[in-house]
Amino acid sequence: MRPENLSEIQIDALRELGSVGAGHAATALSQLLDHMVDITVPEVRLVPVSDVPMVFGGPETLVGAVYCRMLGDIAGSMLFIAPQKALLALVDMLRSREIGATKTLNAEEEALVTHCASILISAYLAAIARMADINLLPSVSAFAFDMMGAILEVASSESGMKVDTAIVVLTSFSDEHAAVDAALFYLPDPDSLEVLLGKLGIV
Amino acid sequence: MTTSFLTGMSWGDPDADVVRVGVGEFAIAEHPAVLMTPALGSCVGVAVWDAYTRRGGLAHIMLPTPSESSIDGKRERFATIGIPQMIAVLTEEKPTRRLVAKLMGGAAMFKTDSGLASVGDRNLHEVRRQLGLLNVPILAEDTGGSHARTVELHLDTGVVVVRSYMYGIKEL
Repeated sequence: MRPENLSEIQIDALRELGSVGAGHAATALSQLLDHMVDITVPEVRLVPVSDVPMVFGGPETLVGAVYCRMLGDIAGSMLFIAPQKALLALVDMLRSREIGATKTLNAEEEALVTHCASILISAYLAAIARMADINLLPSVSAFAFDMMGAILEVASSESGMKVDTAIVVLTSFSDEHAAVDAALFYLPDPDSLEVLLGKLGIV
Repeated sequence: MTTSFLTGMSWGDPDADVVRVGVGEFAIAEHPAVLMTPALGSCVGVAVWDAYTRRGGLAHIMLPTPSESSIDGKRERFATIGIPQMIAVLTEEKPTRRLVAKLMGGAAMFKTDSGLASVGDRNLHEVRRQLGLLNVPILAEDTGGSHARTVELHLDTGVVVVRSYMYGIKEL
């Protein structure tokens, strides 16, 4: 199913899923940090996979990404992506450091970011699963820190280029010290999108 | 296009036309032009060059064979289809022994996931096999590892410039 074939109401439903998911992710982050984390109203876009690298300014933009596959009633991939600066700010937040203190990631901080992102992804998936009444589980997550285009390429070739639409949830998590711009990319396999919309009762 | 240290042209003729090769595509060009493909991850960049005509091609191969994917799309994204097609267009179906190849990419971008890591390796294996079948020798490689690469093929010299955040600028 391609984005141009989706009706207005179907796009709205997918937008709503994205917003609810992002809300849950923000709650998970505040619980993790043990203080309030606000989110900006998430901007949810449906974009062709080939245009996804443009979201953060071109395929060569340096980003940190956490990737996992979705397992359960529907199949697809989830990507958490944050630009370099935002990713370092996230580490500062998690470590209660002054913003800007982290310059590079060591192995331990990579693991920290990976786990944090996988918690956010799980919260997002849990929200979708509850709304659509399906079973959804994330697979073990993997971390990469490199060019946006290359990361996306791996995610789409792993699913055999079956994916053509990405649901992008752009949001900014902020507490009193810092704001982290991040994006969650939800890449459902084509048949899965129909299953999901069917479960929501809008085919 | 943004100009950063990775995208900014630093070699050869600054007035050269840059021909951008998209994901899963290939392109053929002649001397004043430079062929470029950004952000190779598990994909493999195959640069083929003819020293006499100073023509060359650059392919961005995504997957080894069509059996790996169930939907239609650009057929050139598969090694078994894209490489023979590019060589046929490049030589205009006339056999030649002048072609030489250089390979870039085929990295394992994500750590700790064994299933993902093998896409790059399988791509490289199939690309080498296809070039072997077509009798095109591989002169140089910058493959494997876990970093992304941006690749330029300069058609006057056949030099391939590889840029990455990990190792900076490298010539092949």
